[in-house]
Amino acid sequence: MKRKRTIFAALVIIFLAIIGFTFSQKSSAKADSRIKIVFWHEMTGPGQVQLNKFVKEFNDSQNKYVVVPQFEGNYNEAVQKILNTHGTSTSPALFQSMDISTSQIYNSGYTTPVQKFIDKEGYDTSKISAVARAFYSKNGTQLSMPFNTSQPVLYYNATLLKKYGITPPPVNPSYSDITRVATELYQKSGKKVKGLSVEIYGWLFEQFLANGGESLANNEDGHSGVPTSVNFSGTVATKTMKWLQENIKSGAFMNFGAGSSASANEMAAFLSGKLGMFLQSSADISQLTAGTKDKLGITYYPHADGQKSNGVSIGGASLWISNDKSSEVQQGAWNFIKFLMNAKNQATWQVATGYLALNKDSQDEPVLKKLYKSQPEAKVPGQQLRRTKPNNTNSGIFMQGLIQERTLTQTAMEQIYNGSNIKNSLVEAQKAMNSYITSNNLANKVNQK
Amino acid sequence: METQAKNPNFNIASKKKKSAELSLGYNPYAKDKLYAVLFLGPSLLILALFVFYPMLRTIYLSFFLTNNLGKPTVFVGLKNYFALFSSNAYINSLIATLVYVIAVSIFTIAIGLVLAQAATKKVAGINFFRTIFSATMGVSVSVAAIFWLFIFNPSVGLLSQLFTALNLTPINWLTEPGWAMTAIVISTVWMNLGFTFLIFFGALQSVPYTLYEAAQIEGVSKSYQFFHITLPMISPTIFFVSIITLIESFKSFGLIDLMTAGGPNNATNLLVYRIYQDAFLNGNYGLASTESVILAVIIALFTFIQFKVLEKRVTY
Repeated sequence: MKRKRTIFAALVIIFLAIIGFTFSQKSSAKADSRIKIVFWHEMTGPGQVQLNKFVKEFNDSQNKYVVVPQFEGNYNEAVQKILNTHGTSTSPALFQSMDISTSQIYNSGYTTPVQKFIDKEGYDTSKISAVARAFYSKNGTQLSMPFNTSQPVLYYNATLLKKYGITPPPVNPSYSDITRVATELYQKSGKKVKGLSVEIYGWLFEQFLANGGESLANNEDGHSGVPTSVNFSGTVATKTMKWLQENIKSGAFMNFGAGSSASANEMAAFLSGKLGMFLQSSADISQLTAGTKDKLGITYYPHADGQKSNGVSIGGASLWISNDKSSEVQQGAWNFIKFLMNAKNQATWQVATGYLALNKDSQDEPVLKKLYKSQPEAKVPGQQLRRTKPNNTNSGIFMQGLIQERTLTQTAMEQIYNGSNIKNSLVEAQKAMNSYITSNNLANKVNQK
Repeated sequence: METQAKNPNFNIASKKKKSAELSLGYNPYAKDKLYAVLFLGPSLLILALFVFYPMLRTIYLSFFLTNNLGKPTVFVGLKNYFALFSSNAYINSLIATLVYVIAVSIFTIAIGLVLAQAATKKVAGINFFRTIFSATMGVSVSVAAIFWLFIFNPSVGLLSQLFTALNLTPINWLTEPGWAMTAIVISTVWMNLGFTFLIFFGALQSVPYTLYEAAQIEGVSKSYQFFHITLPMISPTIFFVSIITLIESFKSFGLIDLMTAGGPNNATNLLVYRIYQDAFLNGNYGLASTESVILAVIIALFTFIQFKVLEKRVTY
């Protein structure tokens, strides 16, 4: 008995010693006297690779700060993680958060507006795209720095259209321009190639409204006050849904459903020549050019017939500085943001990922010029961004609960794509969203007292 | 007498003394209590921290509206419950979940049993088939999802190519409500089969061979043997598997998240997925807590019914 116990005790001691040793090894290996800036991001694929390169370059460029990038999964889940860890030792000093979380993050009061650093250092923001800045500001205060920024565009397979002798869509197409190309493609290919896919994705729904100049939420999409109701069933929304439903019924458009599998299926279909056109983020461009030898075509986001396009808002995410860290750490986070926003890095970012270079000087950078030379169509998303004059219907929706809005509009789109009554589906989603807004505003106002 | 009586006393006393050196008191009951606390304490502490507290907290939260930081701000009593049961979307989720759970349980058990029965036959290469049949146990949800997504892909998928080759109209597996549920059920059953097969196979091995020999002597048919010897003999296993499968399918999440994300038109938005969406996407922790409480009650109810109804038919 006694001997067994001794052996056991000895084993425990050895075990603990090993654990202790491993940890002390780890901490001594990581011993870096530089100030740690924990950076949470949600980039995958080429974006993550390039972001890690930037981090390495920044860390090697100076010896005061060390940025530690941590991947946090998808945009939606990251928002909750950010809000729930605030004030703890695991919370990030700098984080990336998606476009539609802007109002929610701002209202949490957990961040230091980057405007503070802009004013302190007299940082010249005029070089950064105005449309992108407008999306992440409130009453003239820059809340966060736009980072990975994309525009929704229409992609088409130019080689495929040429093969069937179809004239490509114009650079600023209307719905009927798209219908023509899609129908011709579907008919001439013997119904083997589908014309267009519009993924069931709330972002695209929002963009149809923005491009039609229709507010989704009241109080001018939240730019003049907290929204209290939404309008999903306006003229533009109804017209657009009717266009999509009719063409899905005729077979010219394809429904790939919702969610990550939908965009993957859509991409696979496009790359294998079974789909002629689709609407998606401009950030997909690098994946599309790498995946197929066919020539890629890009146009602006389509607009309803008989009206001018109002311009679409941006998508993507911005960088926020948490206020639960020391001012020294916050300064380090800001220095890293400045590093990311310089002309050279923004140009590199666009070439590597397809997200748009936001620094105006980037257009003169050799890497970007080289890209435009080999792929002239890569210019289109940036042109669309620059031609848009920011107004209240195309600068995003400043409202909390936009994730819920997307879930509900996507459900309505699913119903409509499968043939339901358009008005009923939109009104049903609208009612559900309005009751969500009511209880959400109630729950949050009490907190503000 | 005296020595006889003294001896056991002495023994006990000496034992007591010996162990008392190790413990803290002389009272044997106190020692029992000490051991009880020592042995049960850690598990109770862990359970209290990670099971009981979250459970009570969930019930508490279900009576509140929560703000965007997840903090309960407005007490609404049972309003969350009323809101859910008067919402068509939630009722649809409830029905979809029932359909899913029942379909998955039935198909998993039936196919698992057939495969296990087939694998007991001693034919050439049977070991290969046994391995194949249980292979899905080693497949993770994400791998399975990718595999099935490829099969169900509407333009380049295996099934759509097969349908096109046969001149049939391809089915939009994941975008039409009825078919999406079918696709999810197929994938889940496939995922579950490995485990079910293995358990049934083990159970079939333990049925005494003498029973079948006796039946053969009596000249009973194979199907009679299956229904009157095999099934009763493995009924405890069937009972076990049915409960496990039922609870597991109530909790299904991974395949749904990866394949349909609850769509189309909420056709595969099962209760657990709805809870996830409300809590972690919409930050609506109050409502999500309400949904969790309802789900817990439903699972408890089903398990209770199974114990009441099925257990009567089980031969131990």
